[in-house]
Amino acid sequence: MQQTISFVLDGKIQTLTFNETFGPTTTVLNFLRKSAEHKGVKEGCAEGDCGACTVVIGELNTDNKITYKAMDSCLVFLPMIHGKQLITVENLKQQKGVTEVLHPVQQEMVDCNGSQCGYCTPGIIMSMFSLYKNENNPAKESIDDALTGNLCRCTGYKPIIEATAKACVNNGEDHFVRNEKQIVELLSQIKDSTNSIGINTATQKYYQPKTKAEAFEMRNKMQDSVLVGGATDVALRVTKRHEVLKEIIDLSNIEELKKCTITDYVIKFGAGMSLEEVRKISRNELSALHETLSVFGSRQIRTLATFGGNLGSGSPIGDTLPILMAYDAEIKLQGVDGDRVVKMNNFILGYRQTDRKPNEIITSIIINKPSTNTIVKFYKVSKRKDLDISTVSAGFSVTLDKNKVSGITLAYGGMAATTKRATEAEVFLMANEWTRENIEQAMPMIEKAFTPISDARSGAEFRSVVAKNLLMKFWSETSNQK
Amino acid sequence: MNIPHDSATKHVSGQSVYIDDILINSQLLVGRVVYSKHAHAKITKLDLEAAKKFHGVHAVLSYKDIPGHNQMGPVVHDEVCLAVGIVECIGQAIVLIAAETEEIAIAAEKLITIEYEPLEAILDIRTAIEKNTLLGPVRTMQRGDADAALKKTKHIITGELETGAQEHWYLETQSCVCVPGEQQEIIAYSSTQHPSETQAIIAEVLGVGKNEIVVETRRMGGAFGGKETQGNWTAAWSALLCHATKRPVKIRLFRDDDQIMTGKRHPYLIRYEVGFDDAGKIDAMKVEQNADGGYATDLSLAILERAMLHADNSYYIPNILVTGRAYKTNHPSNTAYRGFGGPQGMAGMETIIDRIARTLKKDAADIRKLNFYGIDKDNITHYGQEVELNRLHVLYDKLINTSEYYARRKAVNEFNVKNEFYKKGLALTPVKFGISFTTSFLNQAGALVNIYKDGTILVNHGGTEMGQGLNTKILQIAAAELGVSNAKIKVNATNTSKVPNTSATAASAGTDLNGMAVKNAIDTLKERITGLFAKEFSKSSPENPSLQENIAIENDLIFDRKNPDRKIPFDEAMNVCNFNQVSLSATGFYKTPNIGWDKATGWGKPFNYFAFGMCVSEVMVDTLTGFYKNLRTDILHDVGESINHGIDKGQIEGAYIQGVGWCTTEEVKWNDKGHLLNHSPDTYKIPSVQDIPEDFRVEIMQGIPNPNAIRKSKAVGEPPFMHAFATWLAIKDAISAVGDHKHEPKFKLPATNEVILLSIEELKKRH
Repeated sequence: MQQTISFVLDGKIQTLTFNETFGPTTTVLNFLRKSAEHKGVKEGCAEGDCGACTVVIGELNTDNKITYKAMDSCLVFLPMIHGKQLITVENLKQQKGVTEVLHPVQQEMVDCNGSQCGYCTPGIIMSMFSLYKNENNPAKESIDDALTGNLCRCTGYKPIIEATAKACVNNGEDHFVRNEKQIVELLSQIKDSTNSIGINTATQKYYQPKTKAEAFEMRNKMQDSVLVGGATDVALRVTKRHEVLKEIIDLSNIEELKKCTITDYVIKFGAGMSLEEVRKISRNELSALHETLSVFGSRQIRTLATFGGNLGSGSPIGDTLPILMAYDAEIKLQGVDGDRVVKMNNFILGYRQTDRKPNEIITSIIINKPSTNTIVKFYKVSKRKDLDISTVSAGFSVTLDKNKVSGITLAYGGMAATTKRATEAEVFLMANEWTRENIEQAMPMIEKAFTPISDARSGAEFRSVVAKNLLMKFWSETSNQK
Repeated sequence: MNIPHDSATKHVSGQSVYIDDILINSQLLVGRVVYSKHAHAKITKLDLEAAKKFHGVHAVLSYKDIPGHNQMGPVVHDEVCLAVGIVECIGQAIVLIAAETEEIAIAAEKLITIEYEPLEAILDIRTAIEKNTLLGPVRTMQRGDADAALKKTKHIITGELETGAQEHWYLETQSCVCVPGEQQEIIAYSSTQHPSETQAIIAEVLGVGKNEIVVETRRMGGAFGGKETQGNWTAAWSALLCHATKRPVKIRLFRDDDQIMTGKRHPYLIRYEVGFDDAGKIDAMKVEQNADGGYATDLSLAILERAMLHADNSYYIPNILVTGRAYKTNHPSNTAYRGFGGPQGMAGMETIIDRIARTLKKDAADIRKLNFYGIDKDNITHYGQEVELNRLHVLYDKLINTSEYYARRKAVNEFNVKNEFYKKGLALTPVKFGISFTTSFLNQAGALVNIYKDGTILVNHGGTEMGQGLNTKILQIAAAELGVSNAKIKVNATNTSKVPNTSATAASAGTDLNGMAVKNAIDTLKERITGLFAKEFSKSSPENPSLQENIAIENDLIFDRKNPDRKIPFDEAMNVCNFNQVSLSATGFYKTPNIGWDKATGWGKPFNYFAFGMCVSEVMVDTLTGFYKNLRTDILHDVGESINHGIDKGQIEGAYIQGVGWCTTEEVKWNDKGHLLNHSPDTYKIPSVQDIPEDFRVEIMQGIPNPNAIRKSKAVGEPPFMHAFATWLAIKDAISAVGDHKHEPKFKLPATNEVILLSIEELKKRH
């Protein structure tokens, strides 16, 4: 196995050996901050909530083109950029003799007064750049989404939105297009030599297998290791709690885990798919999942975070959990002993505890497309609508035969130590008419079903009230009441 | 004029240098602060020995190692730099570590033993009031006889309002690098709004003369008041470590530590009693403002004063009594934050107006107009200052039309009749904000302008750049006053060795004060330059000499207005000046004239002038979840004659959104042990790009020059913050619609979705 990693930075292949200065869980942000040439990349929070550290990662896609994705560099461990291009704010402008020529996204930010103190600006520029490379004339909704992961405390955002919109009108040529061939060549060189990675330092073992089979073997040998999908959760143990993770298995480079199969009735998502990809795929046929992921973290986080990772963490406020219960999804677990499928409703066992055995890995999530008379909805209540963790979330599904309930799931996050269903209310509503009277009778049952806690996000009373109200909201939206 | 921020191209290309970006040699040590985990406790044991011996550790300091005064209090000396035997809040510094790497410093911290004996802690304002833990004297401001007038008035409302703390959440956390020089010398690169005070405090804790210490501030990555005194801490700590190790030391607070350790906007508990007639005209008002000052005085008393001075917002109240008290609690010492008490004071007043309207079943905008300060009468504030150049009426008349207020009021009412689960709300609120430090002597500024022989100019002034565009405006002022192009001028990093003894860049007064000081320096230079060229131009024709009064500098050219052929390019001219032994360096100074007031009686003229503005905001509330949507917000604001339209607009928009954060999602909570629960952006939610109004219209009022400030402009940093009250009260209006406006909804600040939903639930029960 390969001990070093290689990536393209500043137009050159950089090969990194791990030592006292850089360990395998050193973040890309901390790597860049140590270099004199990349001080433009800023740390604002070290937890993926502010976006000041946003960089763009270029990946060689199957068409031999480069796909550009914005990410929070504070959440990315160095081995995760192996074989990729790392682009920072310093790489956007060009030097032409004595004059600097700004990239269109930079020039528009200057012209629109998009920066004040300037500290968030490099990260915002990189989010704009990523959008510039991916969408022509983006809709307002897409601009907002691309910028949600970047906090600015000075401007009130209006000039930033304006600058983004202007820069992305008929966007085309830039020096990244002109130099693409050369970068593709460099990336191909690295890719050809890319093996599974195994890094051993005095304090850490870090493995990045390339195949599922390798991953199962490793996991079987190291059952206490930390499994990493996109590291958006695990990285905080390093950046915020200063933990030294002893054994890590990084699943981010296994192509088999990133495949999606869609049939007439079923969508099977690879557990290694990013939540952003899942969001895109689910837009039409799993609209509630799409909605869930549209208010999940930010684009930078969703690009890193994986479906399997979010499930595997088993967090009571992991937003994909209640919605997967509502879809009655299935989880496929695999390991050296074979594979099995578990119903989502049986997967969560306790606080951050799942049915996954120590030597198993989540490999796919299987969702049946809802029938035409089934309505699935997701609700998230949080202090701020976007880029916030749920105070309460709910995944609801109801199947109506004429107006009679023939199937119902009311799954809640944030109301107990685990994602939990309001069983009494479900039983009451089942086989009953889908009417306001019945909903009003069921609401107190929801309140009774949970004894939520008070914490930094809200008090217990709010959680109880909003949980029951969400049922009314679900009813009002399924029956078109204003 | 509209030129981009003078750092804009550096910002967008990552070339702006902040403290953490300064390239320092490999001898740099990392500083770490070990702080109290108890809100109030005796330190019974402090063992640093193991940490001192740890490999890679260069210094571990406690209060015993402070060579000078262990004191940080900027006004009242009640803040020790490092705790002595007792700690009074969670986050109070006890020990400093300097180590070769952050990892070593963290490991060393784990080897330090601190044992505590917990003492009773006061963790909220109500307990503080009960225990009467006053930080300073009770202040009053009054006019007329409020008590007597309240006895005669038709309607009386009493009530209370809680306003929450606010975390500054500057993107760049508190940072400082200290670099040792010879013997006692230290250069501190500090993210501070107040370099002179930072310099003074470093000198005092080290026990050296201020002339040994240089503080330099190129720019801050945001401040908002949070680096007016709070920047002193990291600076003093890194200076102590630098002094002890004789190595450069950097402290950059980790985000969570910054949120835990530093002070915030003061939470207030405001109690009021107001009397008014059937029309809604206020006869009398009594307001009690109670501030949670945290564990030390810091700027609490000045902030309280400004809150009291803004208890009236924009309204004439014939009989008024304002009482202010600041209390000690066991939280980090609360501090300056954009508006400096003004927002809290005005939130009380706007709540009162809102309640009068609901009581009388009238539109609150009409009640506001009815009570505005008059132009020729009813124009004296409760502290005796005349509201000169009152712009409230002109702003109101324009905004009520451009915002289509009354048509939208009708539409909102109709929507609310038709919809059960969603309710809309609409509100108009005004801003009148006094400009000047209310501690009058602080209204002074200095500058040093150097012209070099090539005609380039370096402007130094005492203000600091925190993103507000001060340096850009200074550059424009200097260019306009000197008559040269912008490209010739560079505004230097603020440096205490260039301009000494300055005031903080605060109170929105940065441009007013420093702009005038720069103008003063330039006037001196122009006097010298034009004097020389009057002589030079006269040499060729002694029979028709050039007079100094006719020598002008415009468009990079020096010429005689009467003999336009007598001219010389500015660049060339500066060489001539040098050759003729004319000094091309001058200092400038400014103090605000005609202000002054008696703090003891609360009467006089504390402000140079007032800044005005007005806002109309419309929201929609989801009555099942408490979420609100900012549908449309119109702001009309007065900046006199704008020096830089783009920068002023940015200040207005940014201040409003920051205000909306304070009024809605930014909730600061502590648990019953005094631990801050929202100590990272994970749980402390400032507005994101999705939280701005769907339709956001900001306009700068034209044609209202301000005769009292540089180039007829007006201060803009703080006043627009309070436009957020329109949004806050629009939310309340929407809640009120749930009960058909028949009941007074429970409400506070911030109106989180929790506050909104529980208020709605309570209304539903009453309705």
